[in-house]
Amino acid sequence: MREAVGKLVGILLVLSLASLPVLAAAPPLGQLALPSLESLEPQAKVSVSISLDASLLAVAAQFLDSGQPEDRAVKDVIAGLQGVYVRSFTFDHAFVYPANAIDSLRKQLHTACWQSIMSVRKGKEDSTVDIFICQLQQKARGLAIIAVEPRELTIVNIVGAIDLDKLHRLEGHFGIPRLPEAK
Amino acid sequence: MNEDLDKQLRQALRPVDPGEDFTARVLAQISAKPRSLRTHWRRAAWIPAALAASVLLVVAGVYEWQQRQKEAGLAARAQVVEALRVTSQKLDLAYRLINTSSRPPSDRDSGA
Repeated sequence: MREAVGKLVGILLVLSLASLPVLAAAPPLGQLALPSLESLEPQAKVSVSISLDASLLAVAAQFLDSGQPEDRAVKDVIAGLQGVYVRSFTFDHAFVYPANAIDSLRKQLHTACWQSIMSVRKGKEDSTVDIFICQLQQKARGLAIIAVEPRELTIVNIVGAIDLDKLHRLEGHFGIPRLPEAK
Repeated sequence: MNEDLDKQLRQALRPVDPGEDFTARVLAQISAKPRSLRTHWRRAAWIPAALAASVLLVVAGVYEWQQRQKEAGLAARAQVVEALRVTSQKLDLAYRLINTSSRPPSDRDSGA
């Protein structure tokens, strides 16, 4: 009996050790596998591809001056974030986006912690904006925005606890648009 | 026996003419010694120079690394700002779309 328990413990130990690299490689909760949209780049007028993981965010934070109010506000927003990923493409004319790529992204948002907090579709302007939030134990773990306009496709994935109030404070600075006050 | 030994010693210790160039060779050796010392010191003088060059190389390497770190940091900073700008812009778009779709129709819209 004692031998059997010993063997079981040994097997469990080996299995748990074997799973360590897999756990270490797993992306943090709230991070999406963004589709490869590189094929759109040559056709786009403007393309933005930003991939900032936790280490790059830490490097960026070092170059934000806490003595400057604007920099401090950005530092506050990115504090605690584990990643910021943006893909944005602007075209000269109306464009048909690769539906497969967007569908694969939407599928990820129907699983685990993700829930839709806003979905706006404007048929007249042919624009849709979907905002999802990943929450676990009442804590935000990620934010995803999929904005499809006739001439623009934007995907944003912020990993970590993003504070939208802090983002709101950045409005009017660094070219960040000023939102009208909610009535 | 004694005579043989004496003969051998005489033979071994007989005066030998060193040759005409002996003096010249001795003088050449004497004058060569200080020259080799000078060469030695000249060689040794390269050590501080090499050390200085190494230090300079390390300092240049560190400076280059710092410059690259700075460039990477500034690029990351610019990317953070750009990412937040795009995020805010899309939140703004969502806000505008909601506002325009939920706005009650005006008199003109209703055709009155």
